[in-house]
Amino acid sequence: MSGDMVITMGEGTCGIAAGAPEVTKLLKERFPEATFKAVGCIGMCHLEVMVEIATGGKSWLWGNVNKKNLPKIVRFHRGQGDLPEAMLIRSSDTRETERSQYLTRQTRIALRNVGELNPTSMEQFRARDGYSAIEKVIKGGMTPEQVIDEVRIAAIRGRGGAGFPTAVKWGFARGAQGEPKYLVCNGDEGDPGAFMDRSLLEGDPHSVIEGMLIAAYAIGASKGYAYIRAEYPLALKHFAIAMDDARKAGFLGHNILGSNFSFDIKIKEGAGAFVCGEETALLASIEGQRGMPRIRPPFPAIQGVFSKPTIINNVETLANIPWILKNGGAAYARIGTEKSRGTKVFALAGAIKRGGLVEVPMGMTIRQVLEEIGGGSASGRPLKAVQLGGPSGGCIPESLFDTIIDYDAINATGAIMGSGGMVVMDSKSCMVDLARFFLEFTQIESCGKCTFCRIGTLRMKELLTKICDGSGTLEDIATLEELAERVKDASLCGLGQTAPNPVLTTLKYFREEYLAHVTDKRCPGGVCKGLITHTILQDKCTGCSICDRYCPVNAITGELKKPNTWVIDQKICINCGMCVEVCNPDAILAA
Amino acid sequence: MSKASLEATVDPEKVQGWITKIGSDTSAAVPLLQAIQSEYGYLPRKAMNLVLEGTEINASQLFGVATFYAQFRLDPVGRHMIKVCHGTACHVQGADRLNTSLRHALGIENPKEDTASNGSYTIENVACIGCCSLAPVMLIDGEAFPNLKGADAQRHLVKHAKSKGEILPGQTGEGDDQSADEKEK
Repeated sequence: MSGDMVITMGEGTCGIAAGAPEVTKLLKERFPEATFKAVGCIGMCHLEVMVEIATGGKSWLWGNVNKKNLPKIVRFHRGQGDLPEAMLIRSSDTRETERSQYLTRQTRIALRNVGELNPTSMEQFRARDGYSAIEKVIKGGMTPEQVIDEVRIAAIRGRGGAGFPTAVKWGFARGAQGEPKYLVCNGDEGDPGAFMDRSLLEGDPHSVIEGMLIAAYAIGASKGYAYIRAEYPLALKHFAIAMDDARKAGFLGHNILGSNFSFDIKIKEGAGAFVCGEETALLASIEGQRGMPRIRPPFPAIQGVFSKPTIINNVETLANIPWILKNGGAAYARIGTEKSRGTKVFALAGAIKRGGLVEVPMGMTIRQVLEEIGGGSASGRPLKAVQLGGPSGGCIPESLFDTIIDYDAINATGAIMGSGGMVVMDSKSCMVDLARFFLEFTQIESCGKCTFCRIGTLRMKELLTKICDGSGTLEDIATLEELAERVKDASLCGLGQTAPNPVLTTLKYFREEYLAHVTDKRCPGGVCKGLITHTILQDKCTGCSICDRYCPVNAITGELKKPNTWVIDQKICINCGMCVEVCNPDAILAA
Repeated sequence: MSKASLEATVDPEKVQGWITKIGSDTSAAVPLLQAIQSEYGYLPRKAMNLVLEGTEINASQLFGVATFYAQFRLDPVGRHMIKVCHGTACHVQGADRLNTSLRHALGIENPKEDTASNGSYTIENVACIGCCSLAPVMLIDGEAFPNLKGADAQRHLVKHAKSKGEILPGQTGEGDDQSADEKEK
């Protein structure tokens, strides 16, 4: 009966990390006659490993499949067992489930193919109208100006974070003098907490290549670079395969589709520098230098890589372009709000029930994304804030969750749209610790060119560490605020200009948490190590000694199986929390 | 095995091969260092010197680049590499505890050290690896382990060490198995 069976496995980085290879192996043993297909990450990371099984004209999508529960689906598909409801995401028989709502509430344009096709199959990409947009452009005789006009009508703004209108940027480069012109795809997704570009590059690389082709045609570029982080090995691999296949099919190289348009791409592996997301730093990196930004003007559109006109577009922006050319700019512009058209992809993570990749129309509220798609809090504790835009962004408190997703509406809160990282925090998170985390990040990543960014972020990090340790003063908060403004004003590039945002927004919305650290010497989230103590609750302790075995500093002593003998030596304890984690009866209190 | 013996033996022909393949102009600096690092796990001084001799890249640029990007390191690494993700999602969900418990198992006490005294494992913190919904995450020799607590990280390490015949110099919460193994050897 498994002869017509098609088993589709999500094999993106998340799926693989969650154990897809092992599940695939087991399924191949159970259903040797079935046809296996690998697709990219559909974005429901919280339900990985996912398996879709189609047979006899019906299909079932299973989630959270592992070695232990796999026999349940095997039995079901052999007609020997009941339908394992708990693992079902959707089937061709059932209506929408709470789990499938995650997908149906989305509007997938940039992600249209991700999770739907084998990322390295040219045949499947063509079957989903892949490369039909570039064919329409070239064979339909569109001029570069007409292409730019279509993108202007779509009114798409750069999805890398800054939100500059794509068509305007292209117009500058179109008019610029100098040969050759370059088109760079910025896949140096450095925001910790963001993985939109990773999913696109590994799940649908051909769409990004097609977007690059259209952009190159519009600005008159003959050379392209795909700058992809080395931390994304699968993205690099899939993109390289897709490039080779595109070259063989005549979409890259000389005289594409018989026209006099020639364009080819080289991959540049990013070596790990957040500042390289800044376009002039990225160009320096391509040229083999330290990734340090330079003063603009001249803008890269006039003088970019190797001093030639260069356009740098983000992966997500490029993935939208083929859709826009195929369906028309007007169709794209109908989605969204007046000043922010189209959709935006977010990487939803943190204290959320259903995390993963979501693409929503602009204008949806943050609350809708968190509740209707994300399913609300994972722990059941109330949600406190959402962090948008990573180290350059800010925190939006729960009271502002009805803010719509729109560049200007989000900027008004002090946060930024950013590239799409959306990390959710519940009541057990500490906003001061989060600000410290981001400052530590930007301080390490500062290239060192501007004094205020180089030293100012270090001083800010020291002040935040002091507050988290419990030795902060009210004056430190004032100094922190003053420094934040100075660093913003006196930095050349976006990294320094936005580095204080996490501090400023948490001070704006969560000042009482800072005050609790400073005046009450208390961390309301129970996170900051200097402000909590760990104690053993004698009435719950069973004396099993597991805490002692995992304690890295041997601060816990007691006699085996004698509950009331166990104590933590506060002088030795480093408040790392390992004991809380391993204690089965929850007998250790961190407060 | 002492740490000094972790120094790699550099094959000049290999380095020359990369220069021929990748190029010898200044824009080749990053990919050349990437090739060296992926072969040896770090940038041996001898390989760097060979690049200086065989290309247009000068020492200022090469060392400037090598010390600028997070990917590159100048010190030798252990036989196995553990990468602990410290992206935002991993941080808020307790990635620090992964380091605490792994370092404890590896017996690395000095905060400036990152490699176990017997050269078995090196722990590196990495910026986001993009599996945020499976946070906290770590990689051992490239294999990802999702949704970890500190103790889980240690258990995976113990398992990995057993399968590779490595000894963990520190203490683990798994009881005395490790020290028993150690005595045997």
